[in-house]
Amino acid sequence: MNGLPIATALPATLPQSAAARLATLFDAHHERLYRLARRLVPTADDALDLVQETFLKAARAPGSIPSGFADEEAWLVRVLVNIQRDRWRKSLVRRRHDTETPASSGPASDTEAALVARAAVWTALDRLPPRRRAIIVMHELEGLTVNDVASVLGITAITVRWHLSRGRRDLARILEPYVGVTDDRD
Amino acid sequence: MTEIRHVLSAADPLRHELRPTEAERDRLRQRVVAAAAHLDSRPGRTRRPILVPMLVTSAVIAMIVATSSMWPRSSLAQAAVRFEVRLAEDQPAPGLRAVRVGSSDRTVYVHPEIVVTNDDIERSGVIAGNAPARFWIDVRLNAAGAEKMRQATANHLGKPVAILIDGDVVAVPTLKSPIGAAAVISGDFTRADAQRIAAGMIGAAP
Repeated sequence: MNGLPIATALPATLPQSAAARLATLFDAHHERLYRLARRLVPTADDALDLVQETFLKAARAPGSIPSGFADEEAWLVRVLVNIQRDRWRKSLVRRRHDTETPASSGPASDTEAALVARAAVWTALDRLPPRRRAIIVMHELEGLTVNDVASVLGITAITVRWHLSRGRRDLARILEPYVGVTDDRD
Repeated sequence: MTEIRHVLSAADPLRHELRPTEAERDRLRQRVVAAAAHLDSRPGRTRRPILVPMLVTSAVIAMIVATSSMWPRSSLAQAAVRFEVRLAEDQPAPGLRAVRVGSSDRTVYVHPEIVVTNDDIERSGVIAGNAPARFWIDVRLNAAGAEKMRQATANHLGKPVAILIDGDVVAVPTLKSPIGAAAVISGDFTRADAQRIAAGMIGAAP
């Protein structure tokens, strides 16, 4: 026996195996990723699946993950958005062959009127390309500045503003008959 | 007219839904960690497409346990080791056997029934540990072993399960969710020790 007490064998600091690194990464970022994922996909199960796929990507590319909380988070967010972009593109291909596009389920419960309004918003969001939708979500719902969004996604502030503008315009056009929205600006 | 920000906020699912339960989060975490543990054990083969369906299957659950490397050197030198998993309790009760955990001061009380043993292992391997030159053991149970493990652990949540090598309790993780086909015995093993143990688990018990 080497006599080490159990406590000293606990991975307390700087885990270096992929398993320990992923565990640490998961604990630090899963809540934030779920919040974003949930606002990008129709159901909670879809969001969990998207978060899982994001971490599995991380598991397959441990050398690509930067160090430091903020950089880790930005990397994971980019991976998550890119996965959703890939899925969205594939679903577009499928939809072209469908005679009927399935409606997004959206959140349940509440009054019928609220449900209709929410479903309309959800359907409108579903029509946005994932990156644009992510930019809208991060800016409008999470309250990130344009520069923050640009930094997280690794794109320029000009690109973010362009997506915001297009996204707001698209949403306003789609939602106007339902809830009478206006394309508000900063 | 309503501003888009307000419309989005009103429709925000996070305002209307419960967040994922702790159990859901734990299952997700276990799948992710199991995936990484598997990759640890297969250097140079991390991009195989077959990994994806394997990783997402809920049957694969990792049991990350903190173990000491209190393995008796005598047993490590053996070609074969006797591997057992038994349910355990923190408190004594009739019919339970008191066993000290490694060289620590902790004592657990193990059930007489063996849940799985060497015969239930499909394969085992050495994976990188959480520190340089430290290694863990990845254990994969066969279908029969995984089913026995699931059934035994499903009603034992929140309680300890004892992993025994050659009769010594080397790990006592507390169950957060039922264990399936996969377990990772994490500890402070040298590569040589981990290799001997992993190799010795396969086949008949000594």
